Amino acid sequence: MTALLEVDNLSKRFGGFVALDGITLSVKAGERLGLIGPNGSGKSTLVNCICGTLANEMGTVRFDGATMNGLTAHERTRRGLARSFQLPRPFTSMSIAENLRVPLLYTVNARPGSHLSPAAIDERAAELLSLVGLADKAKHLPRDLTQVEMRKLELARALAAEPKLLIADESMAGLSNTEVADIVALLIRLNERGITIILIEHIMRAVMSFSQRLVVLVTGKKIADGAPDIVIRNPEVERAYIGQ
Amino acid sequence: MRTLTFFLICTAIGIGVFAAARLVDNDYLFFAGYVVLQYIVLATAWNILGGYTGYVNFGSAAFFALGAYATVFLHKALPLEISSLIVIDPLPIPVLIVIGAVISGFVGLGMGYLTLRLRGAFFAIATLALAVVLQTFITNWSFVGGARGAYVIRPNEIEPIGPYVQYLFLLMLALAVTALTVARFIERSRLGLGFAAIRDDELAAEASGVPTLKLKLIATTISGALMGMAGAPFPYYIGYLQPSSAFALDYAVNSIAMPMIGGTTSWVGPLIGAVLLGTLQQIATVTISSSVNLLIVGLLIVDCVIIAPTGILGLIEGRRTARDVVADPAVFALLFGINVIPIYFLHQEALTARPLEIIFWAVLIFLALARGRLIGQLWLITLPIVSAALSVVPGPPLQGLISILALVICLACGLLLRPREAATRSGTP
Repeated sequence: MTALLEVDNLSKRFGGFVALDGITLSVKAGERLGLIGPNGSGKSTLVNCICGTLANEMGTVRFDGATMNGLTAHERTRRGLARSFQLPRPFTSMSIAENLRVPLLYTVNARPGSHLSPAAIDERAAELLSLVGLADKAKHLPRDLTQVEMRKLELARALAAEPKLLIADESMAGLSNTEVADIVALLIRLNERGITIILIEHIMRAVMSFSQRLVVLVTGKKIADGAPDIVIRNPEVERAYIGQ
Repeated sequence: MRTLTFFLICTAIGIGVFAAARLVDNDYLFFAGYVVLQYIVLATAWNILGGYTGYVNFGSAAFFALGAYATVFLHKALPLEISSLIVIDPLPIPVLIVIGAVISGFVGLGMGYLTLRLRGAFFAIATLALAVVLQTFITNWSFVGGARGAYVIRPNEIEPIGPYVQYLFLLMLALAVTALTVARFIERSRLGLGFAAIRDDELAAEASGVPTLKLKLIATTISGALMGMAGAPFPYYIGYLQPSSAFALDYAVNSIAMPMIGGTTSWVGPLIGAVLLGTLQQIATVTISSSVNLLIVGLLIVDCVIIAPTGILGLIEGRRTARDVVADPAVFALLFGINVIPIYFLHQEALTARPLEIIFWAVLIFLALARGRLIGQLWLITLPIVSAALSVVPGPPLQGLISILALVICLACGLLLRPREAATRSGTP
């Protein structure tokens, strides 16, 4: 399989603080990748640089064979690179179904050769909502949702963009065990449909059950990359997490 | 309803309004109506950027004045004789309106490009700065009158309408219909959904594929163009234009206050706000002194911000949050107190200011209702109703005394009586 996402020597600074220091990472199409690291290790910054929310100073991001440097976030989304946010950021004045209409209209319909009719958009939104289990809340406002439902909405909205690669940024923080299992199952289902997924997570049980490969970031550097059970036994990773 | 149907209905209503105004046959009605219509355009234009997209523009007056000064410039420059064969004649006002729209639209685009990287208060300050820069520029440009101002002599009559002010009124009516149609079209289109996404969360909008910068530029351009359109006929209306009247703070404040009062999420909001506030301002200026006018308008804005934070539309849609806030003892007392004050002033004006008085009585009744419902004493509402009824009946001063007494009782009961649930809760250990 060819690499879908290639991050080459990516660096990002905030003033004098080096948030990312020469990250090189490659994700194959159809892969499930776990990305872990202690707080402040640069996971979210890496996501922001890949998705175009932040501009990286050095290095390149290649996605689906094309260089992403200089492209804005919405252009990257249109090319098939979707993300969910660490803290849910729903469109608060819109109903749950309308929340999904935004990416359907602005991403799917903006792609060349694709034009969904209004009826098809409604249908697609309903499909996605039943996929994540929010079908009966379609007409509600985001403020009526619980935390776990909000995270599902966040995932559904990212999925509505029909991504090739989905980056789920801590979509399970603060959820209960059953809720975590719920979302992991959902993500694996999505992966089986052919979506490549990068999962950023602190909950090790979720990461271990989800990932086919694990990447560890510590203070902006990649310190390990490989099979999950081997990576977590890596002494450097243990040192970063538990201390010496 | 399709946009075309809506446009036709609006046009029909507009024609009806014009015909009704002709029946009254009082030129002052057209003078006052022009201002109200102008505010409908300005408020709707502001709302496209401020309400739909969430970017507060304090520089509305600048776009309005640009339209007005474009007209002054062309009025001075034309007729222009380039050679003996080519003479450019003075332009009719509809053409001037289009020119005003193009100029203000371009400035809106430019301003957007320069300032839209700023958010929240910073964007608002930048737009205010734009207004100051433009005003300074116009003040120092002697061709359009500079600080002295410029006279634009308008004809008294125009065929086939008659008095020129009626022609201006008709033009502004057409602009209002146009503005409302544009706003409603945007609201229901893909563009409107994108604007709303930007307002709710710009980062999430961008991640959902919304080209935020492009959409924001579209919003500033449309908003600016509509404001320029509103300004273009203004010199003909007022006859003498000076920078301080074209860039008056009134325009900036009103075009924000009106959508806020009406409700910012729909095209109906600015319409309600502009008709309500614009009409009240006109009535108050004529019937009472213009300084009391300011007091009354200010109080109504305070009322609206507290009672209907999401605008009158939000209140109608039945969000209960506002009612809970109003029922809070401190807020209740404050609002009750300040809304009694204008009634005193209005009373002195007796009959002329009756419509204004009714609004304040309505506010008092609403307050009594909200507080009364919370504390389970709905009879409170009867006190302001009795007072209002008494004040309408002309008669001995005793009635005034009784109504004051009733209001004081209402306020005291509202403050002293506690909710029943709270009483039982504090009783249990």
